[in-house]
Amino acid sequence: MIPKERYKDMMTANRAVAIAAVRSKPEVVAAYPIAPQTEIVEYLADYISHGDFLAEYVNVESEHSAMTICVAAEGTGVRTFTATASQGLAYMHEVVSACGGMRLPVCMFVANRTLMSPGGIWPEYSDTMPERDASWLQVYVEDNQEVFDMIIQAYKIAEDPRVLLPIMVAGDGYTLTHSSMAVEILGEDEIDEFLPPYKPEHAFLDIDQPLAQGIIVPPEYHMEAKYQMQEAMKNAKKVIKEVNDDFAQKFGRSYGGLIDTYRMEGAETALVVMGATTGTARVVVDELREKGEKVGMVKLRFFRPFPDKEIKEALKNVKAVGVFDRSISYGSTGQCFIETRNALYNSNIPMLNFISGLGGRDIRVVDIKFMFEKIKDMVTNGEPEDNLIFVNTRGING
Amino acid sequence: MKLKELPDQGPYTSGATSCAGCMASNIALNIMRILGKKTIVSVPPSCLSVFGGTFPNLNWDVPYFHLQFGNLASTLAGISRALKVQGKDDIIVLGMGGDGATADIGLQDLSGCAHRDENIFYVCYNNQGYENTGIQASGATPYGSWTTTTPVNTVFRGNPYFPKDVPRILLAHEATYVATASTGYIQDFIRKVEKAKNMRGFRYLEVLSVCNPGWRVPSHIGPELAKEAVDTGFWLLIEAEKSKVKINKEPTFKGLEEFLKKQGRFEHISNVQIKVMEEYIQHKWKIYQSLERVSYEG
Repeated sequence: MIPKERYKDMMTANRAVAIAAVRSKPEVVAAYPIAPQTEIVEYLADYISHGDFLAEYVNVESEHSAMTICVAAEGTGVRTFTATASQGLAYMHEVVSACGGMRLPVCMFVANRTLMSPGGIWPEYSDTMPERDASWLQVYVEDNQEVFDMIIQAYKIAEDPRVLLPIMVAGDGYTLTHSSMAVEILGEDEIDEFLPPYKPEHAFLDIDQPLAQGIIVPPEYHMEAKYQMQEAMKNAKKVIKEVNDDFAQKFGRSYGGLIDTYRMEGAETALVVMGATTGTARVVVDELREKGEKVGMVKLRFFRPFPDKEIKEALKNVKAVGVFDRSISYGSTGQCFIETRNALYNSNIPMLNFISGLGGRDIRVVDIKFMFEKIKDMVTNGEPEDNLIFVNTRGING
Repeated sequence: MKLKELPDQGPYTSGATSCAGCMASNIALNIMRILGKKTIVSVPPSCLSVFGGTFPNLNWDVPYFHLQFGNLASTLAGISRALKVQGKDDIIVLGMGGDGATADIGLQDLSGCAHRDENIFYVCYNNQGYENTGIQASGATPYGSWTTTTPVNTVFRGNPYFPKDVPRILLAHEATYVATASTGYIQDFIRKVEKAKNMRGFRYLEVLSVCNPGWRVPSHIGPELAKEAVDTGFWLLIEAEKSKVKINKEPTFKGLEEFLKKQGRFEHISNVQIKVMEEYIQHKWKIYQSLERVSYEG
């Protein structure tokens, strides 16, 4: 049984996610195993079987059906939850992409894992990045406390009438899902107060008020629906900040909203980083600052909506920027780099893209130091013609 | 209930843009005359989703959910589970999918839902091909049939494969209710829909649906073919509760060749192919006979 009161315990991200899901009180949970999130659906079955919470637990036969169950149940008017990773997310893609247009605030945790091939079960963002255009909000978390806090916040953001879009909370597989840290679990009552039950007014199946969801919409009516989704994404930026501030006020933890910054005061060079690697980067920034180097870090939290103005503001005084990517859009650059470059358009700041940690390759302190060295080079030498670097890669930068 | 006793209008309204003589439209209309307004319906991409539900027109006067091609059953399950949570599980959750959505792309989650005995009523209107996309062969297309992907010329002589028997696949799931029907035997059809309406759990009804352009037949001939399909043994009328099989109508097995020759899709069919089809029909009949025998032994 999960204690009803606030408590602190050592736990993996998988357990923190499962408890956060329990605390959020979804009424329908779709479960299908895939590493590294499998434990989550195991925990949820265990919690339901112990009476920690009441929910319809559906042992589906595939991820495609898991997302279908969530979309259809959410469309019927109830809060839902599921978790997946890698191939599972790719397999559910067509249903994932239908969710936003139906304006259903489904919440899903993704344990980031490489998408084959080559095969592998280790962390990479090549699973969630292709979903960036699927009209879901995306937030990448740094540690197990943040993942707990963000699941709770995710529902509140997504269900806000100004947003009503689905949300994906992404955390590095294994690095977070299978590593333990002390996590403060908020009490049931205080979360209930922060996150009231889901009561949709815009769209749900009701025999007394029949409506059609997901209906075929011809060109004459189509663009207006899509425009509203883009407007909702814009609104989400505001809602994310509000929810972050509300959460911080009630529970004492702020994540900055769309982005967070670390030691950016007077920084001449900066690294844009996301996910679990943020933790390693903090250590490196501290170490370099001790030596007197003016370095800082921007933690990119939300990838959708993309915090373009916030990034531009955070980086307005730096002389060179590096962007970390744990995935790559082959033939172009890493996805964060594309977006950051776009955000900094016209600012003439030299930029480098660091492709790092693919397929779970360890991202070490020395690798982050290497990134800061390369960024520093640009202050005097400007941006190199080849601005994409594969970090810690045999024969390249081994 | 007798056909005469059904309300003239159900919550499937007039004004659909289906082809003249479309039996899918007729099946939807008659099912809704029986089920009434306490129903939520989902239709996957198919003819019915196009002519019955293109914004701003909708033929369904009940809540309507349209999702993808390969997930009708789990769509129904998601709705049904949510209704259960809401204490509204007396509402019928109806799915109306074609044979492509059922026998092919949606077979996996149909299996999942039958296995979990989801509280849903899945109707497959089987027009024996991907008719909406312009007459391609599906896993339910009969042997020998012409389609655009099983053409008739010197190399190909129509569909070389036999149709999947989805009811038999579902029998292997110990499904709560599995039945076939034909509007050519309308009382049997009404009885089965009513039976499904009053049951809980996984219910599957597969109805033969004549497709005039797909079968290359005139628009008035649907009801006639729907009856002859049953008489010739081309379409068996069966039902099963928890895999206990009952045969509802014994075919005469007469007139198969004439039945086939009325349809442009079988215009080319050779005597050898007719013989193959007769053997297939007899084999399937024997299987169902033995299933019925085993079901009620001791």
